[in-house]
Amino acid sequence: MSSCFLDEETFCQCCQLLLQHSHSLCDGWSWEQVKGSEEGYLRKTALGTGRTRCNLDQQGNSSDQHQERTFSLSFHNDDEDDDGAVCCIQEESSSSSVVQYEYHILYSCSYQTPVLYFRASTLEGRSLCLEEVWDSVHPNYRQRLQHRPWDTITQQEHPLLGQSFFVLHPCRTEEFMMPVLKAALDEHRQVNYIVTWLSVVGPVVGLDVPLSYCTQVPEPPHTPSSSPQPPSSSPQPPSSSPQPPSSSPQPPSSSPQPPALGTKPG
Amino acid sequence: MADDKDVLRDVWFGRIPTCFTLYQDEITEREAEPFYLLLPRVSFLTLVTDKVKKHFLKVMKAEDVEEMWFDFEGTPLKWHYPIGLLFDLHASNTALPWSITVHFKNFPERDLLHCPSNSVIEAHFMSSIKEADALKHKSQVINDMQKKDHKQLWMGLQNDKFDQFWAMNRKLMEYPTEEGGFRYIPFRIYLTMSDRPFIQKLFRPISSDGYTHTLGDLLKEVYPVAISRDDESKRYQVVIHGIEPLLETPLQWLSEHLSHPDNFLHISVIPVPSD
Repeated sequence: MSSCFLDEETFCQCCQLLLQHSHSLCDGWSWEQVKGSEEGYLRKTALGTGRTRCNLDQQGNSSDQHQERTFSLSFHNDDEDDDGAVCCIQEESSSSSVVQYEYHILYSCSYQTPVLYFRASTLEGRSLCLEEVWDSVHPNYRQRLQHRPWDTITQQEHPLLGQSFFVLHPCRTEEFMMPVLKAALDEHRQVNYIVTWLSVVGPVVGLDVPLSYCTQVPEPPHTPSSSPQPPSSSPQPPSSSPQPPSSSPQPPSSSPQPPALGTKPG
Repeated sequence: MADDKDVLRDVWFGRIPTCFTLYQDEITEREAEPFYLLLPRVSFLTLVTDKVKKHFLKVMKAEDVEEMWFDFEGTPLKWHYPIGLLFDLHASNTALPWSITVHFKNFPERDLLHCPSNSVIEAHFMSSIKEADALKHKSQVINDMQKKDHKQLWMGLQNDKFDQFWAMNRKLMEYPTEEGGFRYIPFRIYLTMSDRPFIQKLFRPISSDGYTHTLGDLLKEVYPVAISRDDESKRYQVVIHGIEPLLETPLQWLSEHLSHPDNFLHISVIPVPSD
């Protein structure tokens, strides 16, 4: 991971800028600080739709005696030894219902990227299982996730709360952030890492990011050591921040452009 | 003086004698006898308890059986933590055998991860190894390995094959000589007296001026509470694989020799027992 890294300080700054815009929209984001430390995370709850198995009781047990209890997730190919009793999702027995989502944005120091944690429950308070979460992913995104299910959405322990959450795995963040950051740098556009990242991963799990975030939330004031670096195959020039050449014209724009990199945002 | 390689073997083959008792409210057709098992410190509960499940299923009806889970003195045990870590954290100052309660109902959804198959355990294990290598080598070593090499690491753990595992794992323990050690040390410090399950931060084994960091240096930096001042009696034990290494031990050495198979140093900080 030599490019597209995000250091923790910049993460916090990006989050605070996102938070300010969220307050102006009443979009519901809050910052939760860990007691006695600088660390924290963004949090938001929202009602959305999801596909849940309607004939389950509080503990997630099927009340339908004829429900199949066989393990048959279609994208599993190498599992011969499991003997767990896992319900099979039959499309016809699940239905669209209102789901309470809770989203957390944390910082991963190992991967130096943000990570999206979320959990979902029915209005009766029953936690959704992984299969239901899968089913709730918009069909447009489902094929992409199905190829490598255990690499993308998995159940993990929340590193600050110790509770079970679902996680979008961070190891592929570089793949989609790299081109965006590079383009923004080439075109002298401001980029708030968290806003850009969230606009890609959020919709996959039902989290909407209104367009105004992308136009209204600035980049944090950056110093050479804290800005996200564009990918490069040659070594970076020592401690110089990217500057637009002084004689080049401003890039053409159809929307109001924020000031070029290197100047203080509003 | 023991050879360093002996340490690797001692860590791998560590065992904890355990007694599994069925939760009293589970519905059985007849009395369930407790089941005794030696658990490998470096493995995971759901990977090594098939025998436990089969034993208790003999006295239960299929419709009364859901996903198996465990608790110790009322605390649900996280299967995705290595067994040795769970023991050190919750039970190290209690009498052996370790008494674990077995459940087949009322799975604690908020506290425990589901484990429907061994693929899930494998995914967790490999995910930890990848994260550790991201810290040690910017993922270069793990990404250079082939899929079959990754599989060998998992099969070595699953089948308790020390040589098979270390044939691959030794690559993850190498570093450029001129660096003196890994880029960052993969570690987690687990706390019992906090809502927060663990502390994990970036920490270098060798400082920029060539100073070799010790276990004590790590604790002073990320969890100073663990180290008592000279003028007060010791309040906490810092435990790795059931022992308290000297605080002067170089962190790089600990990472190479006392890491779990997932390549992380899992460190427990527990209160000194008051007799």
